[in-house]
Amino acid sequence: MNRRSFIRVVGMTTLGVASAGCAGRSPSDARALARPELLVALGDAPVRAIGARYRALTPAERDVDALRDAIVGSRSLRARLVGAASPPIAEMVRDDFEHGRMVLIDGWLLSVTEARQCALYSLLAA
Amino acid sequence: MHTDARTLANGSLIEGDLCIVGAGAAGITLAREWIDAGHRVLLLEGGGFDYDSRMQELYRGENVGLPYFPLQAARLHYFGGTTGHWAGFCSTLDQHDFETRDWVPHSGWPITRADLEPYYRRALPILQLGSDEWSAAGWQRRDSTLVPFPLDESVAWTKMWQFSPPARFGTLYRDAIVGARDVHLYTHANVVEILANEGATAVDGLRVRTLEAKEHRVRATRYVLACSTIQNARLLLASNGRASAGLGNAHDLVGRFFMEHLEMPSGNLATLGRTPPSTQMYAFVFGRTKARGELALSAAAQREHRILNATVALEAAPLVEQGKSTFEWATPDVVDKMRDERVVPEDVPAASAVPRTFHLLTRQEQAPNPASRITLGTDRDALGMRRVRLDWRLTELDRRSFRGFYEALGRELGRAGIGRLQMRDWVMEPPTSPWPKSLGGGWHHMGTTRMHADPKQGVVDANCRVHGIANLYVAGAAVYPTAGCVNPTLTLVALTIRLADHLRSWEQRAP
Repeated sequence: MNRRSFIRVVGMTTLGVASAGCAGRSPSDARALARPELLVALGDAPVRAIGARYRALTPAERDVDALRDAIVGSRSLRARLVGAASPPIAEMVRDDFEHGRMVLIDGWLLSVTEARQCALYSLLAA
Repeated sequence: MHTDARTLANGSLIEGDLCIVGAGAAGITLAREWIDAGHRVLLLEGGGFDYDSRMQELYRGENVGLPYFPLQAARLHYFGGTTGHWAGFCSTLDQHDFETRDWVPHSGWPITRADLEPYYRRALPILQLGSDEWSAAGWQRRDSTLVPFPLDESVAWTKMWQFSPPARFGTLYRDAIVGARDVHLYTHANVVEILANEGATAVDGLRVRTLEAKEHRVRATRYVLACSTIQNARLLLASNGRASAGLGNAHDLVGRFFMEHLEMPSGNLATLGRTPPSTQMYAFVFGRTKARGELALSAAAQREHRILNATVALEAAPLVEQGKSTFEWATPDVVDKMRDERVVPEDVPAASAVPRTFHLLTRQEQAPNPASRITLGTDRDALGMRRVRLDWRLTELDRRSFRGFYEALGRELGRAGIGRLQMRDWVMEPPTSPWPKSLGGGWHHMGTTRMHADPKQGVVDANCRVHGIANLYVAGAAVYPTAGCVNPTLTLVALTIRLADHLRSWEQRAP
């Protein structure tokens, strides 16, 4: 990679993050992130409980903005480099397991991304 | 031929070439191998052909360690032995079960999985198993509905089980044994002492008693103890006329290393995806299922996490229900019902949505532990033999392995997109914690006369011969140095066939 292309990639990354960051400020985007796949299997109450527990265990991620930023900001360097407008959550979750970014909540072994999704769900679900 | 030892004149002498003590899975397998072999084989069974509570009472013992099943219910004392109530679960030990693992003290067999391979094949028809196919892919080729989870096999894999009908040896092989010209079955012939020569280097004979107070003497060229893991050790320890600590016990090993399989509800699984993955491969219906898979970790993953071998069975169930300990649900009464010869297959549940939630039942090997042992108590049974004391003990490695297993498996199930795993509270507790109420076993008894090339580390050698005693052998799961995570019957039948071959080759070499 030469210096010129490197700069371009960095520029795209910056734009990508900025774009996602701006878009992420919208409450509707936070709601889109607040749909953990676990909901299908476990249902509403257990997912809320997991989410509440995560927030209790992670003081820095107790509100919607912090959780949304944590999810968006945790995208892999590659994802940020390509500047995807919306995070590929399923891939992020898989990547978490691949690299051991897991949390244990109520005995459930979860990807940190989906734990944050559960936390968002616990805040945003009607 | 068959003789009820109660009908013999008191003080009779019974003579033969090979004497097998115990007519359970090992004893009957060994005797069958000698039908029409041109030698006089004696098969001694303490009980008769039917269940008799007075016989079971002889097995009563004291549990002084961790909670355990009542010993008088844990093994059946009549022709056919414990195959009279077993459930038929069969699988093979893994290659690494035979290897020395530096994180598992006392691990390692003096034989390999390859040594046992041909005997596993020969054991299949004896146990009425249909196939020597043990791979998930092979079963999927036979039945396309059996789809294993797409796991990275360097981490986790689907280990296959097959199910015997279950083979009840007492009814299956009674006619063949009783009708054999050169196998002589003696029922109600309880061996109460092994009589050794002056130096305790060979067996001279056996003392046999009946509940009717008759006593007979048995003399043979070679002797094989095949009367169960606990009773084999009991008999050796009780045979102290020439060796005060018991026969074969010069290094204080007889009775030690008693092992069970830890069968415990340990977690839950929730499968994911708009269409959940098929779990037909992992389903089991008693009396109907021929083969199924359970989830296991690779040898490399076990090495990385320094944990014991285990598999986990999936049982479709709502997560709100709690799985019970085998001590709670597999009570003696429940297991006793298994003696009914007419095995009624379970009803197949009506077709419904693919289940998404499962209880996870772990089957984990127990780490070999010299402190987990059988000794003799002070009470005596109706035959005058000292009863056994079982001190079942577990180690931190046993406890720690559950958590290591579930962390590694949960990570792989997540990575593969199959689902999420939940551990029970007790699994997450420190390994020094007391065992939970859900502690359970599989009614499997192993160890007590472990196999090792070094007499200071094992009671029998690689050919199941008791170290230092020229003509005494042990057959059965008592010789296992490690337990693996599979039910012991298939391996013990395979090992017994191997012993039969060894004895035959010895016979051919003898002048």
